[in-house]
Amino acid sequence: MKDNSVDDTDKLDSSVQNNPTRQRQQHKEDEEDGLQRLLLPDARDLPLIPPSAVESNFVSYFAPDFIKPGHDQYVYRHANGLCVIGLAPTHVAFKDSGGITAVDFNVGRSDRSVIKVTGKRKKNAQQFEPNTALCKVCTNDGSYIVRCCVKGSLLEVNDRLIKLPGLLHSSADREGYVAIIMPKPADWLKAKGLLLGLEAYKKLRDC
Amino acid sequence: MANDTKAVHVSMEPEVAHNISATEEGQDISGYDDVRALHDVVQGLPSHVVKDLLSIGVCARCIFRLFGIRGDIYSCSLLSSSMLSSVLGEQRHADEDMVDIGSEEHKNPISLPASEVSEVDAVLCTLCLGILQFTYCDDKELVVKKSAKDMAVAISELLKREWHQIDSFSLEVSIPPILLENESSVWLYMKRKYGSELCFQGKLLPQCISTVEALILCLAKPLETLLDCKSGVSDIRICLTFTHSKASKMVHSIAVSKHGCKRTKTGIENCIDSVDDSVVGDIECSDLADVTIQRSFGGSQDNGSPQSLKFPSEKYSRNVSQTRWIIDDERKGEASVEEIVGGNILPMCQGDNYKFHAAGREDIDVRMLGSGRPFLVEIQNARHIPSEAFVKEIETKINNLENKLVEVKNLKAVGSEGWDLMREGEAEKQKQYAALVWISRPLKDEDLESIASFKDMKVLQRTPIRVLHRRSPLEREKIIHWMKIEKIAGSNHYFLLHLCTQAGTYIKEFVHGDLGRTHPSVGSLLGCRAEILQLDVTDVKMDCF
Repeated sequence: MKDNSVDDTDKLDSSVQNNPTRQRQQHKEDEEDGLQRLLLPDARDLPLIPPSAVESNFVSYFAPDFIKPGHDQYVYRHANGLCVIGLAPTHVAFKDSGGITAVDFNVGRSDRSVIKVTGKRKKNAQQFEPNTALCKVCTNDGSYIVRCCVKGSLLEVNDRLIKLPGLLHSSADREGYVAIIMPKPADWLKAKGLLLGLEAYKKLRDC
Repeated sequence: MANDTKAVHVSMEPEVAHNISATEEGQDISGYDDVRALHDVVQGLPSHVVKDLLSIGVCARCIFRLFGIRGDIYSCSLLSSSMLSSVLGEQRHADEDMVDIGSEEHKNPISLPASEVSEVDAVLCTLCLGILQFTYCDDKELVVKKSAKDMAVAISELLKREWHQIDSFSLEVSIPPILLENESSVWLYMKRKYGSELCFQGKLLPQCISTVEALILCLAKPLETLLDCKSGVSDIRICLTFTHSKASKMVHSIAVSKHGCKRTKTGIENCIDSVDDSVVGDIECSDLADVTIQRSFGGSQDNGSPQSLKFPSEKYSRNVSQTRWIIDDERKGEASVEEIVGGNILPMCQGDNYKFHAAGREDIDVRMLGSGRPFLVEIQNARHIPSEAFVKEIETKINNLENKLVEVKNLKAVGSEGWDLMREGEAEKQKQYAALVWISRPLKDEDLESIASFKDMKVLQRTPIRVLHRRSPLEREKIIHWMKIEKIAGSNHYFLLHLCTQAGTYIKEFVHGDLGRTHPSVGSLLGCRAEILQLDVTDVKMDCF
């Protein structure tokens, strides 16, 4: 597209100045040209692999061996305070042969997948403690409880996991997230103290 | 005999009238008429009731109000409690010899020379707390105006100081609620005492004139004369607001005691009766808290709607937010569209305040290009409505600002129809975007075709995580009208995605999928991971632009 507009400009001659219709057309083309120049970046300025949406908007924390050994979970915290909870890549569930077969949100006293949180004030949101169970992840060899890690209100669980437990394998750190929690600022500070940053976690797990 | 009394006064009147015309304009004939009218009115009232009311401290105008009397009589400067009592006094003596009447005359304030025509009541009225006696506190100072005319003069001076084009005005008054309480308690008292009498049969409280109405009756004519224009529905609104420091506390206690009463008729009346005494005992005149003068635009009447200017704006910088964004005393972003635009228009219109409204908005890191986004600047109390040429000047000024952050075009002054356009633009109009997208695998030619093939595609978006903390968790269905991939020379992972969507679509989430909460997404359509680096709004499809 850019090449085409350059050609048109070369053909510009006195007939344009005399013809008002052509003038308007030219003006419009010039405008679009200007817009093009604003929009299109120079490919040389672009990074090879840009940071992902998660990397740009969240700070990653990890909870290794949460309650039980091998139960490694992540907590991605957004600038607005919301926390996305999920399985870290070193979670013991991934080590089982055959992989994850099912995810069940019916744990503890209620089925987490049926809670409906409404409104700006997040009515009906249940208050969860760090060790409250979110769901059960089942493999051929056993089942593992995924817990909250952070005290706060449960806003949402990823019910897509019910139909597509494979999401945990393909992208546990994105589409395979487990739940979204909204902690109060004071509760977050308490939880943060027990979590590891990305670098510390990598060191711990040698990955 | 009463007629004779009047005859005596009539012969005196012309002298008095001459004096009045020399010192005060426009009152020569009306002075005479006023006196006559007053006489007639007062004598038409049950004198014992009037005397009773005078004795509990109700002022003359309030007495007239309670009896539902209307008309210009309120603005008569002769109207005062002492005047009333003397007219009533005449009545009593009307049957006596004329000789006696002669000796009454000198006590009658009506015969006083013009300079003392209106006698100021020393005691504040228990009902209107001085409002209808033109007595009020202005900045802790007690202000006593001798007449409606004096008060009108004060108001008109205030008005003329700031406003030059006055072709009409509307007068509004607001009083503290305690006055209504006082009124109903006095009314109940009257009813109980005189309810059986003929003059009271069939009269209801609503037939009384309210203090507000009475004050307006007092001030309207004098103001019309002073400002040389008519009062009525107008864009210039003169609002007199009276407040009372103790009023709110007292009202609360009255309300509480009312609730405490049993629902028997006598029960309530007893309660009111006791309240009546306490009200009477504690009089303080009210503060004239506020005389505000508001001008609205183009004759529209909705809440004194201020003037609006509308034009589309383009935002060229990625560091400029729509509105002022300050967290913890620190400003986020370099500037804001609202401040750049509003801040330049406000001084030109000599207004008090501006409010910025746009047909939707974009994030701070998104540029608004192309046709621009329409928006409205509301100027409150604009003293100067700019002409078309002036508006053009404002436009040029904003566009030539040093940092070239914002550009505006098609500046126009509009009336209330601007609001409808804004709402439409926000909720109904399609928007066009250009997004810089990266995908995890190389772009193929088939991708261009497949993306272009989707027309009016439905997308389900759960409330994005980045706004979930302040929005309801909902699933919203949006429509992507069309999409087009534009290749970028030198890269097969990056491309420019042009798309046209329904108002309210979250574009960023449509590209990266928001952890799968927006479905479908660009990533899911192309079967890979997609990220968005840059977003620009290229068009807001509004009919008027």
